[in-house]
Amino acid sequence: MTETPLPASPAASPLIRLAGVTKRFGDADVLTDISLEIAASETVVICGPSGSGKSTLIRLINQLEEQTSGEISLDGRALASLSSEGLRALRGDVGFVFQQFNLFAHLTARRNITLPLTTVHGWSQADADARATELLTSVGLPDRADHYPDQLSGGQQQRVAIARALASRPRILLLDEPTSALDPEVIGEVLAVIAALARDGVTLIIVTHEMGFARRVANRMVFMDAGRILEIAPPEVFFTATVHPRARLFLDRVLSPLHGATDE
Amino acid sequence: MSLDLQAVATGLPALWLAQGFLTSLAVTVIGAAVAFLLGGLLLALRLTPWRAASGFATAAIEVIRNTPLLVQLLFWYFAVYRLLPDTVRSWIGQDHGFGRLPQGPSLLSAEFLVAAFGLGVFFSAYIAEELRSGLAAVPEGQAEAARALGFSPLAGLLYIRLPQALANAWQPMIGQTLNILKNSTLASGIGLAETAYQVRQIESYNAHALEAFAVGTLFYLASGFGLARVLARLAPRNPGGGR
Repeated sequence: MTETPLPASPAASPLIRLAGVTKRFGDADVLTDISLEIAASETVVICGPSGSGKSTLIRLINQLEEQTSGEISLDGRALASLSSEGLRALRGDVGFVFQQFNLFAHLTARRNITLPLTTVHGWSQADADARATELLTSVGLPDRADHYPDQLSGGQQQRVAIARALASRPRILLLDEPTSALDPEVIGEVLAVIAALARDGVTLIIVTHEMGFARRVANRMVFMDAGRILEIAPPEVFFTATVHPRARLFLDRVLSPLHGATDE
Repeated sequence: MSLDLQAVATGLPALWLAQGFLTSLAVTVIGAAVAFLLGGLLLALRLTPWRAASGFATAAIEVIRNTPLLVQLLFWYFAVYRLLPDTVRSWIGQDHGFGRLPQGPSLLSAEFLVAAFGLGVFFSAYIAEELRSGLAAVPEGQAEAARALGFSPLAGLLYIRLPQALANAWQPMIGQTLNILKNSTLASGIGLAETAYQVRQIESYNAHALEAFAVGTLFYLASGFGLARVLARLAPRNPGGGR
């Protein structure tokens, strides 16, 4: 971690680089002129109000959406219009965790992890099973391997979803509000798993409203509003000396909601 | 008025009823097999990106669903079957020593083949639509997760969406299978000697219409009930419907 705030360029050769990226859905500008570089093993937290384009931004990185213009590159290789083979390789290298978990409802926890390995990545069933056991153990669910998603709590489902996203050993994990659909009591167990990944050196890009968690694990905070990045700063700066007034307002409201309400 | 079950439980009426029951079951099973095969094919055509193929499937489903089954059976029997080459038709008419049910009815007859095919075609349109709505009921997030994990669109369909669509469509498809059983009575209209046909034959043979109809009705009730139970047991795990 660096003490000097280096907004857009943390390393000489970034793992991920977005340059002048825009995204439009029909007439709506969802993202405007996004430039961001992320180094290997970095943990970046993206925050901002609803509809600010946070989810769209991370969906671009594994090409669940394609940018309208601008360039996104991974290891210096441009991502636009990849072949189906290239897309498959990209998605093996960039895992994605959804707000609603999206575990395959007809498969057990174990099969959720092994099916992509055997069908997409060509692993043998034995190797995939071993990997599933290893991952389910690492997220604290070794005894839930044969449970179906609807037999698991939300927190357990999200931990299986994280294990599934990690199965192909991606270097990058994108997490889209991973705890927003969870009961408050189980948020902690999911955040603990994510924090452990950050320590293990997986590059994490997390969209979240969990500001306490962000402050602990993030190397950099990215604040977005209305499709633009307004501020990029290390958490110790972001949470104490926010420069942009919109970001300061956001933090005031998120960190002390009642205080913000009585002000108006 | 009293029921004289002896009138249908002995002699020729008993044999006819046994033949009718077996024929009804056989035409239902083979008709259902044809319906599921063609239904899957129609669905596959509808899902292809080629406009001609999906347009053909859509049109076929509309035509099939909007014309009466009896009319379709008559069409296959009197129009299409006659177009087959003579050699094929005379081969079908001959006794081959195989393709016979235990009590004598032949599966290799124009009536049986046309009935099974006609029922299969008619219900394939419904099966295709049940599967399609089962597919539409699979949450969008399932396909999205498949994409995010590197599945191609086809692999996502085969491994993720279709298995769930099959589970969603299972109960309605059991209903369609029962419809095949019940509507196989219409095949008496092209001369297939199934249960309803035999019941009418008994009525004209010894005038014991009530007994014959009672036994015939019980047959449909019992076989429908049994078929539904067996199929329900084979149901894949339905994530939407608990367990």
